[in-house]
Amino acid sequence: MGSILEIRELSIVFSTVIGNVYAVNKSSFNLNNNETLALVGETGCGKSVIANSIMRLLPQNAKVSGKIMYKGQDILKMSEKEIEKIRQQEISIVFQNPSMSLNPLQKIGDQISEPLLIHKKMNKKDAFNKSIDLLRTMGFQNPSKTAKMYPHQLSGGMNQRVLLAISMTLNPSIIIADEPTKGLDNILITDMIEEFKTLKRANESSLLIITHDLSVARELSDRIAIMYSGDILEISETESFFNNPLHPYSKILLDSLPERGFNPPKGTSPSMVNIPKGCKFHPRCPYVKKECTEKVPSITSHNGRQVRCYLFL
Amino acid sequence: MKINSKKLIRYLLAIFVIFSLNFIIPRAMPGDPLTNLLGEDFHMTEETLQELTEQMGLDKPLHLQYIDYWGNVFRFDFGYTYHLKGPVTSVIFSRMKWTLLLVLPSIILSSIIGSLLGAFSGIKSSKKVSKMLTLTELGFYSTPTFFLSLIFLYIFSFKFGLFPTKGFYTTGSLFDILHHFFLPITIMTLFLNSRNYMIMRGSVIQEKSKLYVVYAKAKGLSENQILFRHIFKNSSLPLLTILALDFGFILTGALLIEIVFSMNGMGTLIYDALLSRDYPILYGAFMIISLMVVLANAFVDILYGIIDPRIGDGT
Amino acid sequence: MTHHIEELKKFTINKINLSLIGIFIFSVFLFVAISADIISPYGPWERFEPYSSPSSDHLLGTNDMGNDILSELFHGTRVSLIVGFGASIIATAIGILIGLSSGYYRGLVDEILMAITDISLMIPRIPLIIILAALLRPSFVIIMLLIGLLWWPNIARVVRSLTLQIRDSPFILSSKSLGFRDRHIIFSDIIPNIIYIIIPKFMLTIASAMISEASISFLGLGDPTMKSWGMMLNFAFMKGALINEMWWWYLPPGLCIVGVVFSLMIIGFALEEKDNTEEVDE
Ligand SMILES: Nc1ncnc2c1ncn2[C@@H]1O[C@H](COP(=O)(O)OP(=O)(O)OP(=O)(O)O)[C@@H](O)[C@H]1O
Ligand SMILES: [Mg+2]
Repeated sequence: MGSILEIRELSIVFSTVIGNVYAVNKSSFNLNNNETLALVGETGCGKSVIANSIMRLLPQNAKVSGKIMYKGQDILKMSEKEIEKIRQQEISIVFQNPSMSLNPLQKIGDQISEPLLIHKKMNKKDAFNKSIDLLRTMGFQNPSKTAKMYPHQLSGGMNQRVLLAISMTLNPSIIIADEPTKGLDNILITDMIEEFKTLKRANESSLLIITHDLSVARELSDRIAIMYSGDILEISETESFFNNPLHPYSKILLDSLPERGFNPPKGTSPSMVNIPKGCKFHPRCPYVKKECTEKVPSITSHNGRQVRCYLFL
Repeated sequence: MKINSKKLIRYLLAIFVIFSLNFIIPRAMPGDPLTNLLGEDFHMTEETLQELTEQMGLDKPLHLQYIDYWGNVFRFDFGYTYHLKGPVTSVIFSRMKWTLLLVLPSIILSSIIGSLLGAFSGIKSSKKVSKMLTLTELGFYSTPTFFLSLIFLYIFSFKFGLFPTKGFYTTGSLFDILHHFFLPITIMTLFLNSRNYMIMRGSVIQEKSKLYVVYAKAKGLSENQILFRHIFKNSSLPLLTILALDFGFILTGALLIEIVFSMNGMGTLIYDALLSRDYPILYGAFMIISLMVVLANAFVDILYGIIDPRIGDGT
Repeated sequence: MTHHIEELKKFTINKINLSLIGIFIFSVFLFVAISADIISPYGPWERFEPYSSPSSDHLLGTNDMGNDILSELFHGTRVSLIVGFGASIIATAIGILIGLSSGYYRGLVDEILMAITDISLMIPRIPLIIILAALLRPSFVIIMLLIGLLWWPNIARVVRSLTLQIRDSPFILSSKSLGFRDRHIIFSDIIPNIIYIIIPKFMLTIASAMISEASISFLGLGDPTMKSWGMMLNFAFMKGALINEMWWWYLPPGLCIVGVVFSLMIIGFALEEKDNTEEVDE
């Protein structure tokens, strides 16, 4: 099983008026062909920043270093023209805030057709019909009516599915979905999970799902990566992760699942501006040792899984 | 036609307030109301004056005068000018078309040029070209139209003899009119262009940081495609609003140009009225300019309803 | 070496920013206005040979009345700046008062004040001033008052929308729950937070008031006893300075108007642009 996306030592720093924000630190992971990888972590840990860096969508104040290899080419080294060809055609993304992602003055159908017009030079009518088909696949009851509506007339959840429809227009190799279940109630989450399964069946794409909902990750993903304050702490097969989480933070996260008594993690994650010494998690870790407070542990393999903790060194 | 009732009431109120001001001002200002209404510098016998006072109802109590006044307004009767010997409305309308011939082409030209330049500059706002262009436009923004007219008139008409120095036409042929209008329209366009440029630039800078623009980029659109398929339309909405709101200001700018070039529009009419103290013309011009401003605003509201689907949905 | 030049360029563009240039130009005019009596070679009403060209005695020649144009220009600076400043202070004060009340008290107060504001915005201001100035005695104080009383609606709108935003922010809500009085909240929480946006608006209002004063004076409605730059232009235009190529008569007052307005515009622009870039950084 080859990897379609290899991220190596990715670091992202934002320079701001309050100082440098170290949003992602030397993170590495692969996305394999046809797999679904879940990137999980608390709010503000850097998930969206990673997603945006893959598409080269970060604002100008971001300094990105490391490598993002897509099919053997480094995305970070591409010219603007080259990356424009990767976006949407090879990798597409569903943003975290769907209603704000759509142009308020354009019809839904036109926004879905846009990639077909631009990249496939399809004519307007065919593209609009295709967008109606996609809306139907995404579970809209009356897709031709929806296509003629505007974003403000749809709910957040509906706009979320519109974005998913747009992400599928050109059958990309990778689809990134940032918090696809955010703000949805349980029934809608179940629907959304179904939507993703449909999408996987139809497209043979690799999926990178970003979420802080562990049960969604469990339903959908083949592997799971745990992120904490800019660092990746553990990467495992989803099965084995849920059976036996390795990192102390993973254990705490799992305790927040409903079937484990709903214990949300206590404390808050550290600042990304004044970074604490040592392992980022040590102030909240029940197993903290002296070395944890001094130096960041490196990430190591353990039974085919990867974990960043002195317990496994 | 989507225009919400709150806005409509506001426009009607605006017209009501403006017309009432026009009733109050000549009667409340120091001096004799009859003089304030009719103007000065022309001679009448005591008898005619007495007759006029009665005819205009100035001997009646104010509230009755006010009712009569509205009666006149509804008959579109804005008074009579004793200097030019004619009803104010027909005098103004005969001049208005020449002012519109100066203003409308300039608005169209400057909106196209200004919004394109402003959009370009807004997209590249951190680049040096953008800053240089902005400084140049600010220079035009800072120059009163009448001063720019003086300079252009001197350079192009007096020095180089390229354009006529006076008047609005001699033969009335299309070429002749164009020849006379070229400099004024150029000046008006430069003046409006600098305003449109600044508004559009600011609007694009604000718009381009919105998430839908980043999403358009994620869809693989190039910078130009993002500008023309997404940002441009959305950013031009404020331009429309401000053009309508400032319509009175724009007209004033045009009037001053007309005065310098001695053109036969509203500007010289007002200027001559000032010199000869022909007040009815001033009131009439104020009324009609106000009406045009209110209409321009209503027109833009309707346009908004067509362009922006969020308006009129009650959301 | 080239690297060094690049660094230097960056320095000049970023550090010595536009607003400093604007402030410098403006200070020169302010200095002239304040010290007009001292630096003018002659009194503004002293009479010499009329229509004389620039010479060592009269650097900018004399006008139709034989007044020294340079002295007239210096004194005109004072009149023009007083009208601009005065009008802008009045307009800004009214604008803040109305905008704050509207945004802070909301509800019916807001509805009524905003209706008044929107209607005032639609009244063509210069034509109205033309009528009033024609009926009243020509005086620069009256023109200043009229401009001040008509120029507030834009500021009121900006202040209102800022106040609405700030009023909903957590720190105001906590001040309210701590039982602070409205007046305390307005003066110690809201005003300090909007002043940075009011200052550029204040500058731009001075600019706009000065252009308007010049336009009204150019129509001959200015104060003949206190000649502003606009009045000087009016006289020059009426007495044929253009046809007779007396550039020293009409060019200097015009350029002064452009100069002051431009300096205020770039100060305002630089301040507003700074806000924008800061927003992007956050
Ligand atoms: N443009 C930016 N400038 C400065 N800091 C930024 C910028 N974008 C993101 N950050 C910072 O980077 C960190 C990571 O943000 P990110 O949006 O990736 O979080 P997240 O994991 O997606 O959280 P959430 O679950 O809330 O979406 C945050 O601390 C954020 O403040
Ligand atoms: Mg996020």
